[in-house]
Amino acid sequence: MSIRVGPGDLAKYPFLNEAGEYLRQSGFGWDELEKPEMKEIIDTAASRIAAGTAGQVNDSLERYEKEILVFLVSLILVKSISIEPVLKKYSLSEARRAEKFLTEDLKKQTDPQKRALFAKIFEDLFSLKIDVAENGRLFKVKVTDYLRRSSHFHEQEWRMINRLVSRGFVFLDADEVVRLVRNELAILIHDRVAKMNIPQMPAAIRQKADELRAELAPKVQYRAQAVTEYPPCIKHALEVMGRAENLPHSARVMLATYLLAVGKPVDEVVEVFKNAPDFNEKITRYQVEHLAGTKGSRVKYSVPSCDKLRTENLCFATGDCAGIINPMQFGRKRA
Amino acid sequence: MNDKNQEIVRGAFREYYFKHSSQVEMPQDIAHREFGYMHLAAGMTRHLSFKSRGEVMAGLVREVPSDVYCSNAIYRFPTLPMNEKQWQGADLIFDIDGKDLDLPCVPSHTYRVCASCKHVSPPSEKEYACLSCASKKAEHVSIPCSRCIDGSKKEAKRLIDFLIEDLGINKSSIRLYFSGNNGFHFHIDDESYRPLDSPARSDLVGYLSGIGLMAESIGVRKSPGSDLAFVKFPKGGLDYGWRKKIADRLKIDATSAIKLSNRIKEKGFSAFKSEVDSMAREAGVRIDPQVTTDVHRVFRMPGTLNSKSGLTKKRCDIDQIDSFDPFQEACLLGDSKIKVHLKTPVKFSLKGESFRISKESAELPAFAAVYLICKGLADAS
Ligand code: SF4
Ligand SMILES: [Zn+2]
Ligand SMILES: [Zn+2]
Repeated sequence: MSIRVGPGDLAKYPFLNEAGEYLRQSGFGWDELEKPEMKEIIDTAASRIAAGTAGQVNDSLERYEKEILVFLVSLILVKSISIEPVLKKYSLSEARRAEKFLTEDLKKQTDPQKRALFAKIFEDLFSLKIDVAENGRLFKVKVTDYLRRSSHFHEQEWRMINRLVSRGFVFLDADEVVRLVRNELAILIHDRVAKMNIPQMPAAIRQKADELRAELAPKVQYRAQAVTEYPPCIKHALEVMGRAENLPHSARVMLATYLLAVGKPVDEVVEVFKNAPDFNEKITRYQVEHLAGTKGSRVKYSVPSCDKLRTENLCFATGDCAGIINPMQFGRKRA
Repeated sequence: MNDKNQEIVRGAFREYYFKHSSQVEMPQDIAHREFGYMHLAAGMTRHLSFKSRGEVMAGLVREVPSDVYCSNAIYRFPTLPMNEKQWQGADLIFDIDGKDLDLPCVPSHTYRVCASCKHVSPPSEKEYACLSCASKKAEHVSIPCSRCIDGSKKEAKRLIDFLIEDLGINKSSIRLYFSGNNGFHFHIDDESYRPLDSPARSDLVGYLSGIGLMAESIGVRKSPGSDLAFVKFPKGGLDYGWRKKIADRLKIDATSAIKLSNRIKEKGFSAFKSEVDSMAREAGVRIDPQVTTDVHRVFRMPGTLNSKSGLTKKRCDIDQIDSFDPFQEACLLGDSKIKVHLKTPVKFSLKGESFRISKESAELPAFAAVYLICKGLADAS
């Protein structure tokens, strides 16, 4: 049985090799990007990148000819903007978008041809073999394929013991199958951009990329602009952690909120506490996620003020602390 | 171990590696494994590498290590330091140790070696105090009994069942060994497990040990704001894996949603949750999580001797596990007579012979003398 990828599929999954094939067959060349009618494509691509960088997921679907071009132009734009956090966020938003379509499509799959197509997508892109379970309602993946991915998820429900397992297979529904490859999808798009090699950038693209860079750089680089020096209170807490000594709860809250506020991802923050004598990865992760506002109350906690820290005996002020009321201001005013 | 003891053990071990070299099993990809020796005198050598069976055997007869280990991992450069070895994958392994099973027979065959004066006290129900210096600190030495072995066998059989029924591993890919002292080792020949990293193996260990099972995974969810729950069985049913194990224990099937709801109503959701959790731990296998999770470990090599006993890490056919008697089949040292000085009265069985010795000195066949010397309960005299 030959597997046909239809135009509708390409619109949703423009990262498939078949999309490139389609472009090649239609005789598309780089110089075409200079044509005035491309402006609409370039603008759409630019707005998707901006939205992606802001953490939004676009799920509108245009004609496939347009979608394929928008995707291609987006990749080129992101490449020439060449700011890593923009690329990361954009890749993630594309992955989320595809994830949504994949889930919908998998859910309504009864036609064996279509099923075969999805099996092919998963195998080609993620070397993941999926099969429809005997009862026709669930999908099955090999235990080892499952473990390789699920072990990087933190939710308890993804531990294999909470899955239906039989004879070497883990049984999953459509949402779960797609969730399993979500990160790989983002990496795939990220790598595609990273490896892209554009001989000569068309002027229209270069101009748009310059605009976007100017617009997006301050948004993502505000945090990336690394705090070259930590304030004394934070330094002290880090040193205590480094010596694997105990740190009071209030100091842990200060350290975690501060590190989160300067843009450290949850994983890295959890890592910082690894030395603590009573370290329990699960609990620490929960607490850090709670402070980050991704768990529990969904309120993001801010860094305590210097006043507060002084009353808690966590302040170790030096001359450089003059005139600031929150550790977050440390080092910012002098520039 | 003192010089005299070392000399006796070395002689017996060398003879074994000479006469029983066919017992020693080579790993696949031998040239890409890291080997390690524990020395009779003390200390360990790691990062060794051999290209062939001949090289391995020559090393064993020449060095006569007290214990021989081989990595379950495959490395590009096995002799380089750990961070330069280039890890390429690792076989899946499991360790079931009788001493982790909390068996009731253990105190009846546990000898205590005083931490300060080294005096050995025989097994006793009473609270320990050294009979010679009254110190309360001691090292425990166990002479496992057949109930210990039965306990480990029960775990091993449970693990085999999980491996075949749940993980779909071929029976022929499961190699089972008596550890050489008081437990069993598993080596799994299934290449699809080789690439798994530590977190993935740790998830697998959780699965096998019954740790982390949520009531939700059998379809029981807490009702918000109360200690009640509602029951909606999962799409995939309750017929396989952990869902089946728990359903069987709760005596429910896919038609018992109402029965289960009522049951939870009586005790409340939290109580039900902890009941499910302890059922799962109970039904899980007691494996050493470190051994399976650590992908850079060296693991006792099949067919080599264990210096805790002088017994062999001996292959056991999984269809014959019930009749397997390690004190008979894994006891392969010679029987030339050796004089020993006993530090305590002892009783044990080896090679079908029962020993019950209360004299201070005795002449014993080498396998029995080495057994006691390895246990630290006798000295060569
Ligand atoms: S003044 Fe603020 S930043 Fe400086 S040490 Fe005190 S608490 Fe930390
Ligand atoms: Zn003593
Ligand atoms: Zn026992």
